[in-house]
Amino acid sequence: MTTVPTQEGITLTGFVGEVIKRLGRLVVDVQQCQPRRGIVRIDPDATVEVARQLLAMSGSRLATATGIEVRDGIDILYHWCFEPEGVVLTVKALAARPELAIDSIAPVVPAANWIEREMHDLLGAQFRNHPDMRRLILDDSWPQGVHPLRKDFDQVLDRPPLPSAPTDGGGPKEAGP
Amino acid sequence: MALRMWALRKSLWVYHVNVGACNNCDIEVLELLTPRYDIERFGMILVGSPRHADVLAVTGVCTRQAMPRLQELYLQTAKPCVVMAIGSCALAQGIFTEAYHMGLPVDEAIRAVDPNAIILYVPGCPPKPEAMIDAAVKGMAYLKTLGKPAAKASGKA
Repeated sequence: MTTVPTQEGITLTGFVGEVIKRLGRLVVDVQQCQPRRGIVRIDPDATVEVARQLLAMSGSRLATATGIEVRDGIDILYHWCFEPEGVVLTVKALAARPELAIDSIAPVVPAANWIEREMHDLLGAQFRNHPDMRRLILDDSWPQGVHPLRKDFDQVLDRPPLPSAPTDGGGPKEAGP
Repeated sequence: MALRMWALRKSLWVYHVNVGACNNCDIEVLELLTPRYDIERFGMILVGSPRHADVLAVTGVCTRQAMPRLQELYLQTAKPCVVMAIGSCALAQGIFTEAYHMGLPVDEAIRAVDPNAIILYVPGCPPKPEAMIDAAVKGMAYLKTLGKPAAKASGKA
C-alpha cells in the first residue's frame, strides 16, 4: 500500500494516513497529512467512487464543499469530517478547462446537493449527473452564464443591471378626501 | 390629509422588514418589545401585515433579490407611512457595499418608487434600542408638524 503518491517530506501516518491509504490509487497527490488534517488531490474521474468509499467509513460526514478558480480550471474541495477522531480530510478534484466539469457526488451524498448548485451558480462549475441543477442563490434577475466569483469578474464594475422596481398596481390607494 | 395625519401621530404600528440583515438588528428590534425598553408605551406595536402598518422598520443591506420585494412592500403599505432604515447596512450597505449582490441602499430603493417618502435613519451596528426609541420619538415629533396648516410636508426627516 505504498503506491499512494505523496509530496516530498510527507509520510502517511496516523488515522489520516490510514484513510488515505484505503483510498489507494484514487489519490493522485497527498499534499498534507497532519494528525488532524489531511489534504489530497484525487483523480477527477473518481469523485463518485471516492465519495462512496469515504461515506462508507465509520463516523464520516461531508461537512461542506468549496470551490476556487485556478489556472487549469476550478478546484472543487470536498471537506470530510471524521467526528470520533476529530479529523478533517479535504479531497480536491480539478474541473479542468474548458468544460469545467466533474461528476456530481450528490446522487451518492445527498448533503452535496445544494453546495454543488451553489458552486454552479457562483463559479460556473459543471456537475455531471446532478439530480436537480437549478439556480440556488443568485437572484432571479441575474443573467445566465455570469459567475460572480470568477477571477475575471469585477465585483463593482461587472455588476448586471438591477431588477426594475414594481409598478404601483393593486396596492391600497389613498382614500378619497 | 389633515385627518389622516392626525390619525398617524399616535400609536404607530410597525411592520418589520428584513432585506438581508445578519439578524443582529432584528434581535435589537425585538429587544424593543421587551419590558426593559417597552416600545409599546409609545403606542407602537409590531403587526403582521404591511397593510396594517404605519411604519416599515427595515433592516439589512437590501440585496438584489430583496429590493423589488421591499419596493412592493412599500407600495402595499397604507399611505402616509414612515420608513425606518435601521443599522449601518440599511443606511449605506455597510461593509457589503462593493459586493456583487447588492441592490440600492434602502433609502434609494424606497425613493425610486416614491420620491417623497419619509425616511428615518438609525445608524449603528447594531443600533442600540435607545437609538431606535430616539428615532421613533423624533419621527413622531416630525409627524406632529405635518398635520398643522402652516407646515408643509418636505419629505425629509
